Amino acid sequence: MRRAVHLGAAGLSAAAVLGLRLALVPASPAARPALPRPPDRRVTFSKDVAPIINKNCAPCHRPEEAGPFNLLTYEDVRTHARQIVTVTASRFMPPWLPEPGYGDFAGERRLTSEEIATLARWVAQGEAEGDSRDLPPAPRFTPGWQLGKPDLVLTMAQPYHLAATGVDVYRNFIVPATVTTTRYVKAIEIRPGNPKALHHANILVDPNGSCRRLEGHPGDGFSGMDVRTESESFDPESHFLFWKPGSQPYVEPDGRAWALKPGTDLVLNMHMQPTGKPETLQASVGLYFTDMPPVYHPMLLQLERDGKLDIPAGDPNFTVTDSFTLPLDVEVLGVYPHAHYLGTDLEGWATRPDGSREWLIWIKHWNLDWQGVYRYKRPVVLPRGSVLHMRYTYDNTERNPRNPFTPPRRVVAGNRATDEMGHLWVQVLPRQAEIGGKDSRIILQEAMMRHWLAKYPDDFVAHYNLASALASEGKLDEAVTNFAEAARAQPTDATAENGWGAALEAQGNLSAASAHYREALRLEPDDPDALYNLGNCLLQRDDFAAAAEQFRRLVQLRPDDSGARGKLARALGAAGTVLAGENRLDDAIRDFRESLALAPDSADAYNNLGGALARKGELAEAETDFERALQLNPGHSQARNNLRLVREEMTRQAAPR
Amino acid sequence: MLGLQGRKFVRVLIHTIAAAKRALAPLSLLFLGAVMLTGAVRASGAAQPTLHLLDTNGRLVDPFQGHARATVFIFVRTDCPVTNRYAPLIRRLHKEFTPRGVAFWLVYPSALATTAAILNHDRDFQFDCPALRDPHHELVKLTGADITPEAVVVVTGQRIVYRGRIDNQYVDFGVTRPAATTHDLADALAATLAGKPVAVASTRAIGCYISDLP
Repeated sequence: MRRAVHLGAAGLSAAAVLGLRLALVPASPAARPALPRPPDRRVTFSKDVAPIINKNCAPCHRPEEAGPFNLLTYEDVRTHARQIVTVTASRFMPPWLPEPGYGDFAGERRLTSEEIATLARWVAQGEAEGDSRDLPPAPRFTPGWQLGKPDLVLTMAQPYHLAATGVDVYRNFIVPATVTTTRYVKAIEIRPGNPKALHHANILVDPNGSCRRLEGHPGDGFSGMDVRTESESFDPESHFLFWKPGSQPYVEPDGRAWALKPGTDLVLNMHMQPTGKPETLQASVGLYFTDMPPVYHPMLLQLERDGKLDIPAGDPNFTVTDSFTLPLDVEVLGVYPHAHYLGTDLEGWATRPDGSREWLIWIKHWNLDWQGVYRYKRPVVLPRGSVLHMRYTYDNTERNPRNPFTPPRRVVAGNRATDEMGHLWVQVLPRQAEIGGKDSRIILQEAMMRHWLAKYPDDFVAHYNLASALASEGKLDEAVTNFAEAARAQPTDATAENGWGAALEAQGNLSAASAHYREALRLEPDDPDALYNLGNCLLQRDDFAAAAEQFRRLVQLRPDDSGARGKLARALGAAGTVLAGENRLDDAIRDFRESLALAPDSADAYNNLGGALARKGELAEAETDFERALQLNPGHSQARNNLRLVREEMTRQAAPR
Repeated sequence: MLGLQGRKFVRVLIHTIAAAKRALAPLSLLFLGAVMLTGAVRASGAAQPTLHLLDTNGRLVDPFQGHARATVFIFVRTDCPVTNRYAPLIRRLHKEFTPRGVAFWLVYPSALATTAAILNHDRDFQFDCPALRDPHHELVKLTGADITPEAVVVVTGQRIVYRGRIDNQYVDFGVTRPAATTHDLADALAATLAGKPVAVASTRAIGCYISDLP
């Protein structure tokens, strides 16, 4: 008893001294002595401070990493001691935006109040080194690639030169993925090339090279904080490919890799900060593959309200909200909140059908510099009917120092740093991959797009994506309606006309489908999808010559497109047959020869060519072609028959009359 | 007159000035007189304190020796990212004000920074102004500087007419403006050269603390 009293008293006086000596350190609840009190012995670097620094600071504050100075030794730490006390007390460092208790995240970089108090006490007591025998083992860091040598390294085509001064730069660089077969990516890592200037990076997957047209010259990159890519197949963005310094790269668990197909571009969306001297950056992306194809297919859901982001100048408290009802049971794997410089308070939560609330994230003091992806330690399970919510608040006054405009101006949504955004990306994994034979992601996509249309009834992308989802679900009538709406929303967009045509084609309405493909080609004469679809549609309508014309243009545009070459060969072969039937033998022979140039292994084409030549009387050539047909397909009975006939005819002609 | 008795005291005094300025702007001149270097004693006839400031060749140097109309000390450290981001502006101010009779000195107060590290830093960031080392923190104590980068403007009679940030781009750790809206050091120099009092004589610098001596 006496002993307890004694300790308490000692603790109190120590705290009083502390309070005095640390008058400049912002008071935090941490400063209050917790029970039981830590020992009253002097705080030393070796025993008390080094473990905190090694775990929380050294991962970035070491050579070749992003921290501006090293924090590895006693001397490193002592020379920055007051800085450390200040920035830990204000929680500027280590950078970690989410409020504790509002989402249980993996890789949390947050000091406990006790740790912050220990650092403060160490400085207040004179920054003693202590006994080196107390030192914990020095942290072991892997230099370079954190996950070891990547399976594939892709490097920016040319270095980017960042000016010595000016505002932060958001720029996107296209890095073609040089894979020749589909690979499954389980992890990515970025080596910035210049760790002090690259603040963070996002990677976008651009399966169609749609971002290339945003570049002035290949390799230059293009500016913008947010990027939109297009994809011709429903293969939704499903993974956060985010990198920030000092964090261990995320490795997808077994079965959750993502497929990287040949011809895909990776787009490096980089946030760079001028350092005071001209810098050169040439980042590399390391890809780590697995042989295990994805079994689980997560999906990224986007809550947002950009359409309502019209923030009057001087408004200190502008709020937007969005909410989305889940059409099926999901596990929430992670979140990525995003706003620009006016954003202040970012909240995301879910309400279950039973009314209970689950916080997904709360960022009280948004700071774009430290944006990141937050993954849950354990997935958050939400049943069907749960509602995802976001509420973002913006400060467009001059009291917000980050305000891009002085004096403040009206700010609306956009992808420049001076525009604003309000996005909450939520990565969900449907608890069942299929429901009623339908891919759960399509169900989610349909619900998401309907939600989008409720917000933006005339939105092209929403109509288009909804129509695509409906078409793949076989809901063709509604798909046609939505493609029509999309085309109405953007009358100059060829993709909507093309999709419209495809839905009609699926309904069996080939003539209407052809008309929409032709409209798409009127809008964009070189649209490869429309060329292919129109050619295919014409093939089905037995209009072979016209079909061949479409495929020929496509092959000219994409000489390596083997599918298009095969279709052209087929169309030419069929066209040749028709011409031969009309006795236009020279035209037929020309088509057969062109077809064979594209597909030299077609026994049918040789047989047909031989037939046309035979009818023209070119028996020797015909014989050769029938022989080739039989070499390719010894069971080709027509060719065998034709060969017999042509040889008989040759014999007859050779015989003296 | 209040003498200076170390950094903490200076800071308190500065706060008083700032508060007084807000309330009674015309009084600021009077208070400014109070923000005086120990060195000001020299003006009133007492002995000059011996400073052991070194140039980058390791030679003793007296930055007060010349006939500058104003002398600017900018406290820097080689490993402070805020200091470094100010390098282009420091260079610009140096270029602009040197022909107008202002002497610029970069002050490296770290006892640990080697001469080689300082020379590398000067070269990498192209500061262009002469650098001196203050390994015993004599200038730190004289001027009351506590942060890098922090600017101190001294005029004849070794009166401090300005101490604080270069401009207001940095608001706090991790809070920066896209561009500065006040240009405190440039304004202080312009006013001083025009023979006018500096409107805001003291501001809070944001950056890295000057390390305590070992």
